[in-house]
Amino acid sequence: MTEPLIEIANVSWRYKGSTADSLSDVSLTVPAGETLLLCGSSGSGKTSVIRLINGLIPHYYNGDFRGSVTVAGRNIAETELTDLAGTVGTVFQNPRSQFFSVDTDGEIVFGPENVGLPPEEIRRRKKQVTEEMHLSELLDRSLFELSGGEKQRIACASVAALLPEIILLDEPSSNLDWMAMENLREIIQLWKQQGKTVIVSEHRLWYLAGIIDRVLYLKKGKIAGEWSGVDFAKLSEEELQAMALRPTVADRKYAELFRDDPAENDETASPAEEAAEEDSIVLREYYFSYKKKPYIFRKHRFSEADGENLNLCIPKLVLPRGRVIAVVGRNGTGKSTFLRCLCGLEKDCTGVIEADGETYRGRKRIGFSYMVMQDVNHQLFTDSVEAEVLLSMKEKDSKRCLRILSRLGILPYKDVHPMALSGGQKQRVAIASAIAAGAELLLFDEPTSGLDYAHMVKVGKMLRELADSGSTVLVSTHDPELIALCCDTELVIRHGRAFYRAVPEIDANKN
Amino acid sequence: MRLDPRTKLFMVFVVSAIVMMSATTTFLWVVRIGVTMVPIVLLISEKHYASAFRFLVLYGVALALLFGLLSEKSEGLLSALLLGYCSIVVQFLPAMITAWYVVRTTKIGEFVSAMQRMHIPDGITISLAVVMRFFPTIREEYASIRDAMKMRGVMLGGGNAAKMIEFRMIPLLFSCVNIGDELSAAAITRGLGGKVKRTSATELAMRAPDWLMVAAFTAAAVVFVVCKYVL
Amino acid sequence: MNKEKLKAKDFITVGIFTALLLVVEFACGMLGFIHPYIVASYVVLIPLVGSIPMMLFYTKIEKFGMLTTMSVLIAIFMFITGMGYLGAPLIIAAGVIADLIAKSGKYKSFKKTALSHGVFCLWICANYFPVIVTADSYRKDLLDGGYSAEYCDNLFRAINEKTIAILLVLCFVFGIIGAFIGKAVVKKHFEKAGIV
Repeated sequence: MTEPLIEIANVSWRYKGSTADSLSDVSLTVPAGETLLLCGSSGSGKTSVIRLINGLIPHYYNGDFRGSVTVAGRNIAETELTDLAGTVGTVFQNPRSQFFSVDTDGEIVFGPENVGLPPEEIRRRKKQVTEEMHLSELLDRSLFELSGGEKQRIACASVAALLPEIILLDEPSSNLDWMAMENLREIIQLWKQQGKTVIVSEHRLWYLAGIIDRVLYLKKGKIAGEWSGVDFAKLSEEELQAMALRPTVADRKYAELFRDDPAENDETASPAEEAAEEDSIVLREYYFSYKKKPYIFRKHRFSEADGENLNLCIPKLVLPRGRVIAVVGRNGTGKSTFLRCLCGLEKDCTGVIEADGETYRGRKRIGFSYMVMQDVNHQLFTDSVEAEVLLSMKEKDSKRCLRILSRLGILPYKDVHPMALSGGQKQRVAIASAIAAGAELLLFDEPTSGLDYAHMVKVGKMLRELADSGSTVLVSTHDPELIALCCDTELVIRHGRAFYRAVPEIDANKN
Repeated sequence: MRLDPRTKLFMVFVVSAIVMMSATTTFLWVVRIGVTMVPIVLLISEKHYASAFRFLVLYGVALALLFGLLSEKSEGLLSALLLGYCSIVVQFLPAMITAWYVVRTTKIGEFVSAMQRMHIPDGITISLAVVMRFFPTIREEYASIRDAMKMRGVMLGGGNAAKMIEFRMIPLLFSCVNIGDELSAAAITRGLGGKVKRTSATELAMRAPDWLMVAAFTAAAVVFVVCKYVL
Repeated sequence: MNKEKLKAKDFITVGIFTALLLVVEFACGMLGFIHPYIVASYVVLIPLVGSIPMMLFYTKIEKFGMLTTMSVLIAIFMFITGMGYLGAPLIIAAGVIADLIAKSGKYKSFKKTALSHGVFCLWICANYFPVIVTADSYRKDLLDGGYSAEYCDNLFRAINEKTIAILLVLCFVFGIIGAFIGKAVVKKHFEKAGIV
């Protein structure tokens, strides 16, 4: 009988300063060559298990460690982190913060350089990895220019260049769009073919369908379920939801929507609902391009005539009020541009908002709409939740502030520093600030990336409540589950142009 | 013409030294100006036309004004101030141009490799690489924070200078610290900081153009010193 | 495992905060374009504004060598950006002494931290060395150009050895004041958020 490659025996772990164990007497073994999926809600211990295997626990994170972890015959507690580099590789969640270099080539060779390999060997490995993962178009470019998906591919290449036998992935799809997730799936399949042991910790389950050998479900620091890959795929949606897990199969209609087939979609589709214009918010003449045109006396005003050169070209768009509208489209086709121009952040975009007989142009657009950005950390400025919400109010109304906090369930935290809160709580503080600002049009940029199912449901509920109380909500998202939960209609952005599509009906029986 | 980063550093060194010594005769001025022209020409050779042109114009105008004003012996505060301004430009620009050339045409990988060859300890090399990596990051984070401030109407901090700085600085610091933690974990799990000395994928070699440049600049420096202090 | 030796994580931390400090210097430096001689305001602005990231940095320092490494990086940057290498001895000496002071307080005493910051801030004065050198050669040019010695003296009342001494003292003093301000900000935000 062969030794398991990874053995975790009776491990309990508590992070320093924490009041509860993150892992409670966990034992598991992983045979060589297995592709294992770890799932569970946030805080269940998935990431901690990953950290046990790559050694970050106990060498990088401080806390109480009991038990033993053996990887490829080595006792982790007694092995230096850096000695594991050739054995265990880890791909982290955030493409933006895991790269060390400024350019792609440097990043791929970073690992081999660290372990002191001779230059010819480093170059050979770089060539090998580039060919295996089809990265030649990405070579010799600045990492800052790449999309999230491209960055993640480079991160995978960088890890693979050290030729580890075990590769860990900690929520690698969190910031990726549909196409990027399919790329990621291909990479994992490649590694599987090469006989590597792959362990993935994930919320989004559908893109891994068919390549998982075994699934472990964690709850509150313990292993609470184990299935073979095949059995797990057979679980019904209700069973998954009971465990607070996202669906394992992406509904085919959503697959079409995100995959962007030009043949299927009529570009001149009008809004699915014929809302009266007086009741709606109308956007006019939103044209914008990132390419700056040189000007001598007067700045070039974008117009429809610029056509192909525009990143955003919307002559007129009607937004029905009081609805939650999903904004979908591949990364890079103008979704974020659309949101930024809409709320007035791009000065050079001179579009106009008409609502209730009033016209909002220029800076007034910022007051009319409010965007909750993807990285919530960039939007928190004060040292208490209460102050944060008051900051948004032009006339400071303490009572109103407390009402808003209570409505979102964060009143108990009103004196806590926003940065001390969890991701989901910070999200709610940002929403509270949005409500306090009194904007009619609320924009949300990827509010559920990286959230588990339970939190996604909460966000969906909040968006619905906001719409029901009169605001118009636009939410840019890659999560089909969120669209199903709360969106009335969909706005597709492709090549800078926008058109509506009705939200597909979800069949009770999946086909 | 691709030069070894070590050659480029040597050029910065020599140019910095030459501008420290004031040029008193025409010949010395010629040496100074000649040395300044070399990076400009190199910038052109590496296709950085716009910056080369701008530097050329700036330097040329400042020089012309400097000599023009000096020879006129005009009275008055205004001309003295203008003279002062031009002096500073003429003084700082040579080293700045050379520095710009070095920064623009050297990849970080080459730079790190050069530092390893010069036996600079790995720790300093790592820190320097991180500094270079963080400049664009800080710019991105700050842009995002500014957008959020515009959104919430707090760009001017409500008229309070301290708040203005606080609103910009605090989210930026939180962001950088978070990124730093993740970056460290990702780097260490890829072997950074091990007992082995780091190697580099780029192999550097001093070739004929490098030695030529080194010789030329050394000659310029020697000539300058000799003409100034000895003759 | 040697607790005193600087490890990769420490070097990364030094790199990050050096980048932040240089960005603060650059931002304050933009004001210098108004008039080159307003450059004297650096000794006030940079210690004060830069104290916020620096005080946060101090909370992360637990070993000798981090401040020294930072000062070496700053010296390298000065050199690479064409500000010369005359300032390097000052910068590095200030860094080493600041490091020693901080170490003597075991990196916990606030008094020592404030003192250390005051000394460290002297790196800012290295910015002035090229200006001094310029001023000297400028003066010589004026004399050669036929301006009277008296006129030159009048113009240069502002810039001489005494000025440098004043600037150094101001640097140090505002470095200490900055330490108080920075510490208050760090407490208000980072300690409260539990990051420190």
